[in-house]
This record gives sequence, C-alpha cells and structure tokens, in this order.
Amino acid sequence: MERAAPLAVPLGQTEVFQALQRLHMTIFSQSVSPCGKFLAAGNNYGQIAIFSLSAALSSEAKEESKKPVVTFQAHDGPVYSMVSTDRHLLSAGDGEVKAWLWAEILKKGCKELWRRQPPYRTSLEVPEINALLLVPKENSLILAGGDCQLHTMDLETGTFTRALRGHTDYIHCLALRERSPEVLSGGEDGAVRLWDLRTVREVQTIEVYKHEECSRPHNGRWIGCLATDSDWMVCGGGPALTLWHLRSSTPTTIFPMRAPQKHVTFYQDLVLTVAGSSCRVDVFTNLGYRAFSLSF
Amino acid sequence: MSSESSKKRKPKVIRSDGAPAEGKRNRSDTEQEGKYYSEEAEVDLRDPGRDYELYKYTCQELQRLMAEIQDLKSRGGKDMAIEIEERRIQSCVHFMTLKKLNRLAHIRLKKGRDQTHEAKQKVDAYHLQLQNLLYEVMHLQKEITKCLEFKSKHEEIDLVSLEEFYKEAPPDISKAEVTMGDPHQQTLARLDWELEQRKRLAEKYRECLSNKEKILKEIEVKKEYLSSLQPRLNSIMQASLPVQEYLFMPFDQAHKQYETARHLPPPLYVLFVQATAYGQACDKTLSVAIEGSVDEAKALFKPPEDSQDDESDSDAEEEQTTKRRRPTLGVQLDDKRKEMLKRHPLSVMLDLKCKDDSVLHLTFYYLMNLNIMTVKAKVTTATELITPISAGDLLSPDSVLSCLYPGDHGKKTPNPANQYQFDKVGILTLRDYVLDLGHPYLWVQKLGGLHFPKEQPQHTVIADHSLSASHMETTMKLLKTRVQSRLALHKQFASLEHGIVPVTSDCQYLFPAKVVSRLVKWVTIAHEDYMDLHFTKDIVEAGLAGDTNLYYMALVERGTAKLQAAVVLNPGYSSIPPIFQLCLNWKGEKTNSNDDNIRAMESEVNVCYKELCGPRPSHQLLTNQLQRLCVLLDVYLETESHDDSVEGPKEFPQEKMCLRLFRGPSRMKPFKYNHPQGFFSHR
Repeated sequence: MERAAPLAVPLGQTEVFQALQRLHMTIFSQSVSPCGKFLAAGNNYGQIAIFSLSAALSSEAKEESKKPVVTFQAHDGPVYSMVSTDRHLLSAGDGEVKAWLWAEILKKGCKELWRRQPPYRTSLEVPEINALLLVPKENSLILAGGDCQLHTMDLETGTFTRALRGHTDYIHCLALRERSPEVLSGGEDGAVRLWDLRTVREVQTIEVYKHEECSRPHNGRWIGCLATDSDWMVCGGGPALTLWHLRSSTPTTIFPMRAPQKHVTFYQDLVLTVAGSSCRVDVFTNLGYRAFSLSF
Repeated sequence: MSSESSKKRKPKVIRSDGAPAEGKRNRSDTEQEGKYYSEEAEVDLRDPGRDYELYKYTCQELQRLMAEIQDLKSRGGKDMAIEIEERRIQSCVHFMTLKKLNRLAHIRLKKGRDQTHEAKQKVDAYHLQLQNLLYEVMHLQKEITKCLEFKSKHEEIDLVSLEEFYKEAPPDISKAEVTMGDPHQQTLARLDWELEQRKRLAEKYRECLSNKEKILKEIEVKKEYLSSLQPRLNSIMQASLPVQEYLFMPFDQAHKQYETARHLPPPLYVLFVQATAYGQACDKTLSVAIEGSVDEAKALFKPPEDSQDDESDSDAEEEQTTKRRRPTLGVQLDDKRKEMLKRHPLSVMLDLKCKDDSVLHLTFYYLMNLNIMTVKAKVTTATELITPISAGDLLSPDSVLSCLYPGDHGKKTPNPANQYQFDKVGILTLRDYVLDLGHPYLWVQKLGGLHFPKEQPQHTVIADHSLSASHMETTMKLLKTRVQSRLALHKQFASLEHGIVPVTSDCQYLFPAKVVSRLVKWVTIAHEDYMDLHFTKDIVEAGLAGDTNLYYMALVERGTAKLQAAVVLNPGYSSIPPIFQLCLNWKGEKTNSNDDNIRAMESEVNVCYKELCGPRPSHQLLTNQLQRLCVLLDVYLETESHDDSVEGPKEFPQEKMCLRLFRGPSRMKPFKYNHPQGFFSHR
C-alpha cells in the first residue's frame, strides 16, 4: 500500500537532535496559572514550557499559538510534579522543589524564587519527588517521592515540619481529604495510606492488591493515581481502577480499563483519567473529543 | 560738304602762300593764321542769328532775282541782257553768300559738334573717373570689411592664461611693464612665449623620438638574445629532469599541467586552480591532475565557417538519408539528448589520501550545454577489502558522497535553467543519467565557482574563484571524514555480521564487564521495508526517514527474549547519529507505543548518543550504541518484576547492581550505567 512519505527537509545535526529529543519527550506534570490564562508543563528533560491557553483557545489561534511562549531549564532531572498557588508555581523533580513567580515567569532568564530540599536519609542517590500537594488551611506543601516519606513544608518559613513514614516503597501520588485534614498517599508498595496531619500518624491502610476483584498481578501492585472526595476514593495503577468507600475500606466499583492509569481526578460526578507519554499536551474543550494539542 | 570745306580750306592756305612742308605744318598753320582769312575765327565773331536772317534775306533776294530774271526773260528784249546779267551777277553773289553761309553753317556745326564732342569726352572722362573712383571705393570698402573681419591666426591658438603667462614666461619675453598697459604688446608677448614654448616642446619631441628609436633598437637586440636563449633553456630543462625526479620537485610536470589547464572550461579551471592552491598550501595529501584529450578540447573551438560548411554538408547528407531510410523520432531525440548531456573532453581528477592509506578518487566533469559540473567518486584502500553483505552500499560510487552537506543528494540538476532545456528533449530528470555522468552535487558546483541563486535564474553563470576558495577547505575535510567513517563502518559491519560488536578498548568503560545479550543478526533492509514496519511510524512521521538514508535491522537475543532494532543510518554519520527503533518480543510484543521502558531504551541510544561517541573522530558511535542496546536489554529483562501469579523462577535472575528498580511516576528501569562504580541508576 502506497503511503505518502513526508517531505524530507535537509536536516542538519541540530535539527535531527531536536527531532529525536521531541520524539522521546514525556510531559509529566502540568499546572494552570492562577489567572487561568497560562499552562505550565514540565517534561522529562527538566524543562518547563509555558503555553498561552487564552491564545490557543481563541478563535484566531494559529500554529504558533500551540507552541510555548517561553521554555526554560528548570531542573537537572525530570519535572515530575507541579502545583500552583495563587502567586507561585512550584515544581519538583530530582530531589528538590523550586518556586517560580507566575508574574515573572514569562520573562526570559527567569530565576527560581527559592529552592528547598527535604532532609533525606540516604546520600547515595537523591530521591525524586513524585507528588506535591498543597494544604491551604495550614499554608503548607506536602512532598512525597522516592524516599518513601511524606514531608510537610511550611510555605512561609520554608522549614520542614513533619516527616511521615510508613511506606515500604516509593510514593507515587497524594490526595487531600478536605473535611478532616487527612492525606492519602499511594505508593509502589501497593498500599494506600491515610495520614492525619494533626496527630502525624498513619490512620488507615488499604492494600489494594490484596483484594482479588481489582488486583492485576501481571501489571504489578503499584498505585499510580489517587483521587478522593472525602468519603470516596478512586485509585488505580497496577490494579484496576477502583472506587472505594473509605470508611469501610471496601471496593465498590471497578472500572473496566485495561491499561494502567497515570492520573485520575473527580470532576463534578465524573471521573477523568489520562495516560500517555509524548511531547504533546492534548486539550479537551469538550469531554467528547480532543480539540487540539499543544506541543513542546 | 564738310570734307569739301575742309579741303577748300587747305587750298586756301596753299593759294595764299604756296605748299608748306609737312613737318612745318603746325607752325605754318599758326603763322598763316595771322595772314589768311580764317573762317573759323569769323564764325566766332558772327552771330548765328544774324546769319540766319542773312540767309533768309539772301534766299529771298535770290528768289526775287530769279523771278525778275524770269520776268525779263519772258519779256525778252536786248537791254534785258544787261539787267539779266546784272541780276545774274547779283544772284551769283547771292549764291556765294549762300555758299559762305553754308560753309559757315557747316563750320558752326562742326564746331558745335567738336565742342559737344569735347564736352562729351570730358564728361566721359569724368564719368570714367567717377566709375574708377566708385570702383576703388567699393574695392576699398571690401578691403576694409575684409580687414575688419580678419581673424588673425593667432586667435585660434589657445594661449596659456594671463596669470600663467606672467608666472611662467621669463621676464625678457613677458616684459611686464610694457605689456600690462598695452594689449597689443601683451598679445605679441604671449605669442612670443607660445612660440618659445612650442620650440622647446618640438625639441623635446625630437629628443623623445630619437630615444624611442634607440630603445626599440635595444629591444630588438634583446629579443634576439632571448630567442637565442630559448633553445638553450630547453636543453637545460631536459637535462634537469632527472634531478627533479631525484629531488621530488616535479616542476616540469606542473608546467605541463598548467599548459593543459589552459584548455579547461572555466568552472573546471577554477576548480583546478583552487584545488592546486589548497593542496600546496594546506594539505599535502591532495593531488590534482587533468585527464582527457587536449586535442578534442581544442577542436571545440573551431572557427564558425568550417562548422557551417559541415552543417550544409550534413544537411545534404541528411536529406539523402531521409530518402533512403527515415531515422525514427526516437533516434533523433536520443541524439539530441546525447548532445545536450555532452561532457567536455577534459576532466579534473582529485586524489585525497587519508591516514590509513586509503584514497578517494574524485573525477570532475563539466557538462557544457547544461553548465553544471558532476563528480564520480571511487574509494581504493591500501589492502583489498572483503565487502560484507550489509556494507554493499557504504562505499558504492553512487552513494558514498550522498548528502555530504545536509540535503545535497545529487540527483537533481542544480541549475534551474536546465529544466527548460530538458523539456525540449524529453528528459524528465537527471537522475536517470547520473550513473553515467556523475552526480551534480551542490558542493561540486560551489568548488567550480558556479552559483545558481534560486530567485533569479541567470542565463550565463560565470565561474567565481572566491566562491570556490571559501568552500574548498570545509569540503575537503568533510570528504576525508566521510571516507574514513565509511571505511570504519565497513570494517565494523564485517564484524557485526559475525555477531560480534567490536568495542574498542578506549570505549570499554561505557559498559559493564559482563554483557549477556548477544547480537545475532545484522542485515540491510530496503527503505520501503523500513517504512512498512509497524514500530517505526514515529520516525517516519518526523521526517527523519528519507530515501537518502541507509537502513539496517539488528537482532539482539537473550534466552527467549528477542529484540529487533531498526536502524536509520544517515549519510552524515557520524555527526548525525544513527536512529534506533525497538521492538521486543518477550511475553508479548512491546514497542515504544505500549511500553515506556522501551521508549526509555530508545532514548538512551538515540538522545544520549553524545556519551557514546567515543574518542574523535567518533567512528565508534554505532558499535557503542549496539553494545549499549545489549546492556539495556540485559537490564530490562533482569529488572522485570516477577509476576506472582505465574509459577516458576524468574527467567533472568538479576545480576546487575541497581540501587532502585523503579523510579518516578512512569516507573522507569535503571538504564544508566555508572562507571567506575559499576551500578545502574536512573537519569
């Protein structure tokens, strides 16, 4: 079957290298700016790109609108998670968290406002930070990742207040339970643990893989994503995506999806999940179809 | 009667005094005037009016007398005779009076006439004088006008300006005191000075002429001397040939080359000059030679009359042949094509020697009608090469120089004007003739100084030395790198086909000591086959898989796991890295679209290639990438988490030292090898 080959532009060394980089790029994290006009995306090379959502969604959007407004090297390693406060963009990757001012971020040569590294036990390898969670009530940030602990950092002083230990393998994801200030964490060890922030103790443990209905041994036991709605929790990863009732720690609904999920969130009675790895950010204006993609 | 009276006068003079002598007539006349009865004098005294009255009275008397006579005669009688006689005598007297009067009248008339005549003569004389004077006046006026109009020749001469004159002229000519006041003197002085100057210059001119003559003679002498020198020099040169050879300074050869070079067409000449210059100045391993027939080149420039004669002859011949045998349209077209693609009989050969004694032979041709240059390449090595099957295309003359500069594939003519010429003879593209004619790469045109700007197609493109010079060094270096990298690949392929990844000792540090996965197959695949593979779609869509690349398939195995790697080798290897796409067959088929770790493995060889380049000139890139691939497969298989539901031990026990097996939200395996500690970690 004849397939039209794309036009071969004379590619020099730099163009080939950039093309290869883009092919092997994974976007790990995104965050929308407080004003809602910009989207920050972090990739596996440690770069953060700022896209102008208002330009891309406007009616006169051209191809250039789907390209970043500014790209800068934020971290040495991959940027695994990002979160936005009302003035700052917090990004975390290889072992440290950096803060950037949203107001300054569009200028070239933007420098981080501050950077903090939680106290790690081992020095052989710097553990990564996989998840960031903002706790607005006490104005603190929870970091969790490769060293199997949850660290809380006060955003005003920058000191690390608590370290919650309990996971036996590294932590993938965090979720905040609003009503009682509890934090849920899911990890590689296959367990979802609930922590009370006031008593600094583990309150509940759910070992998802031990439940036969949802476990998928061939995928492993790791929990990749978590979302909670105070009474309910959705988690997935190695085991199937399941809806749990937290008080009774029982799985109620198992969603029939084959592939492991990377992200999940509750949205107005709907559950949205996403999985994929490329250099593109897909934008859905309507939950039925993909409108367009922003590209690094 | 006047003549009579004048005669009568004379006799009167004679009667009064005898016959005067002729000579004394004048004197006698005046003497006799006092003595004779002068009627002229009497005329002046008598009054013409009274004479007229007398005349009338006499006539009346005569008439009366006649009448009386008549009466008397008619009466008759004797006494009448006396009265008649009386009357007759009276009438005779009257007749005499009448005669006198007649004479007087005649004399008066004559006098009158004489006077008139005199007066008239006077008047005539005055008139004549007047005319003379008028004539003279006119003449003088003309002369005056002429004089006034007269332009002296001296005004036509451009004299030097006044200031200059006073500055330059010596004082005895310029006489400033005199000339300042008097313009006439001034002009004279200036003319003097002019004359002076001209004399001097004329002198100088003569001197110079004589000098010139002398010098010409000298030149003649020297020319003769030189021409006598030429045969002597020739003999010296002949004698020195063995010395040149002994000292390795082939001047004679170079001289002959320059002679032949004069017949080269301009682009080849530019190339020849620039390449020789570069070779002498920067690069001793470059040698330049000219091949081909000089006579044919000279024959190209035959005078037009000959060719016209030929044409008319050939026309006549053609007509005959059309009658005998019509050549087909195809044959005619073919001939036209051949004519269009004709090469100049001379070509320039460049030999580039590389460090390992392999030589790249480049032959440059010039297509006259198309005004482009082409090149044919050949690589010869010091030792005979056994070509492994997969290395067939590496050193083939068709593709060894492809894409020396990015995108320069040499299959299309670089001269936009050629398209119109091709349309006339039905050539679609130069690609079909490239094997025969050589490749028209863009760098070849640049070396010949030919520049074809895309925006303005020009009719005549002239060969430019500066363009050639600016590209010479880079191109020569690229050519050498290309040959060496291809030869290195050639050797490596021989080894790869036997399943051995040849890693040099200075690159061993990149890999752990023990590598279990093995390369079992290394073959070439066609471009279309590469495009049809299901796991190469990303590369194809990114435009990285053009038809100028070379494609290979490698197979790495360990136990039951089989890893297929499709390799894109860009002609610009090794500055442009080979691109790998992987497909793992082990417990299902895993490619980069369904397994992030496969994607990570591809990233390790494709994106992180700079670590694998090895020492310059980075010929080890491909082999290092293949070795790394084997290491990655090892890590992948050994770190695969054990599925608890399946019975039996792990197929691949973990032997690699890893700090952590999984990291990050994508749960990557530790693919990065750390030297010299020897453990694997994550990037």
